[in-house]
Amino acid sequence: MTEALNVTALTRESQWRRRLLQPMLRQRSAMVGLAIIAIYIFAAVFAPWLATHDPTAQDLMASLQGPSAAHWLGTDSYGQDLYSRLLYGAQLALIIGFASVALGLAVGVAIGLAAGLMGGRTEWVLMRIVDGLLAFPELILAMAFMAVLGLGTENVVYALALSFVGPFARMTRGDVLQVKSQPYIEAARMMGVPTAAIIWRHVLPNVVSPILVQAGMRISIAILLESGLSFLGIGVVPPTPDWGLMIAEGRGFITMAPWISGVPGVALAILLVALNLLGDGLRDAFDPTTQKDA
Amino acid sequence: MPNPIFSLLDVERSYELRGSGWFRAPSRQLKALDGVRLEVQRGDTLALVGESGSGKSTLIRLMLGLEPASDGRVLYGQRDLAQLDAEAKKRFAREVAFIYQNARGSMNPRMRIEDILAEPIRLHQLCVEREIPARLESLLLRVGLPAGLLQRFPSELSGGQIRRIAIARALASEPEVIMADESVAGLDVSVQAQVLNLLRDLCRESGITLVFITHDLGVASYLCEKIAVLYLGRIVEQGPTDAILNTPRHPYTRALLQAFPRFDMPLKASLSGEIPSPVNLPKGCRFAGRCPQVQAACRETDPALTALDAGRQVACLFPVAIA
Repeated sequence: MTEALNVTALTRESQWRRRLLQPMLRQRSAMVGLAIIAIYIFAAVFAPWLATHDPTAQDLMASLQGPSAAHWLGTDSYGQDLYSRLLYGAQLALIIGFASVALGLAVGVAIGLAAGLMGGRTEWVLMRIVDGLLAFPELILAMAFMAVLGLGTENVVYALALSFVGPFARMTRGDVLQVKSQPYIEAARMMGVPTAAIIWRHVLPNVVSPILVQAGMRISIAILLESGLSFLGIGVVPPTPDWGLMIAEGRGFITMAPWISGVPGVALAILLVALNLLGDGLRDAFDPTTQKDA
Repeated sequence: MPNPIFSLLDVERSYELRGSGWFRAPSRQLKALDGVRLEVQRGDTLALVGESGSGKSTLIRLMLGLEPASDGRVLYGQRDLAQLDAEAKKRFAREVAFIYQNARGSMNPRMRIEDILAEPIRLHQLCVEREIPARLESLLLRVGLPAGLLQRFPSELSGGQIRRIAIARALASEPEVIMADESVAGLDVSVQAQVLNLLRDLCRESGITLVFITHDLGVASYLCEKIAVLYLGRIVEQGPTDAILNTPRHPYTRALLQAFPRFDMPLKASLSGEIPSPVNLPKGCRFAGRCPQVQAACRETDPALTALDAGRQVACLFPVAIA
């Protein structure tokens, strides 16, 4: 009896491994990306302990200094410590990235589900709204929204989330339409499974993996857009430690003190590359058609 | 007359075919089912036999309430299927189970077998949560599968196993009627025999009413006591299995029987040509174009399903004489 129990436990675990863990571990570049992201998350979470200075403390006597023992990555034109700002900036970038994607995903998936499942007039109306959202490039849409809402971290999240609703809604609807025509949905309906349970148990699990992969990729876009908004001066409010703001501030001193823009710029670039590596890896791991033997 | 569990009263099912292009061609109608009259008694085992495109699957979908009838009525017990209230619908869902032709496709690929089988049990609250594992094991035992499969996913089972799981799921809701669409088509003969025996034992032991779709008369005769032969959306002959097999009265049934490969006889293609398109039905008997003994009257008059003798009905103007 114990043996039989062990067997089932083993299959359950190996199942999970075979379906999720192993395909992911096989993606080497994805693992590299994951490691880099882990470092960023570590830096963001422990920023208060790792930072050497208050990220917003100004010290005009020590402005525009290069890297030194006191200021590891130098200071900007207000004498703020770049290393400390970089750490807190990572915090902000990751929070905005995850929050905006999560919000956009929740709304977009809800719209896509409603459109795909109800069909008819509801679908038509919802998809025309989504088309409207998709007609604008993400940055333009976010800028327009920021202009209406005003500056601030929360508003950046809302603006970015809005620009993500369209892609998520469209993708979810497509997948739902495909899953909806599968016999197991009809079988469940015929067995008398309530509609809510059909959506929750039968539709969602079968559309969720491409959505998650997409979400992973969107996070890097979100961080890039957020930095772009801040760079343009319509994102978060200075002196909040934000990479986009930091790059913008350093712009005027690019010849005298290239590290002011360079430090956050490099940090941003590395994070984006890491996120994209992970996103590609996730896609390859979940999509059997792109799986290669590595 | 004992009370029939299903009665179909002149059921029709037609699909609108829309013309395409700028100037829409006038829409035409495709009649998938045309005036089907059928009664299924409690405890019956009925086979619906016919070629591809004869309307077998449409008929069973109508009986399951998956599609509405364009005309006529489908009665479950005494009540019209189209007018069931929520309560009755729920009962219907429990009492009538369907086994899909595509057994694998009828199961959520992301659910384990145990969850798939437990779903109808939980749904209709047939037993308390803590008894479910034992219930699942006994279900698997009944269809002859080891309990170890419960943790698997549908994609990990073989074709024969997955069909037996489909049968187990149908049984899970303790139904009174099981409908099955080509449940053994495309299986190895050995596996086919297992599945057929399983279905047969289930019907004999628990008195389940079975409606079984097949294009294989051999399967039909093994499993079912009654046969209804469909041709182009209409029942052309129905009656007890042995009577139909031994003395087919409709030329189409006879042709089907002759097309059945046998060990001791050379096979000749008894039916020439394809089943005609149900869009442009010929005037008169719909089998006239392929009938080996067609007569002038056949092209004029559409024969109705008429009773010949005990429980035997044929739609033919000149039924084949008993040899």
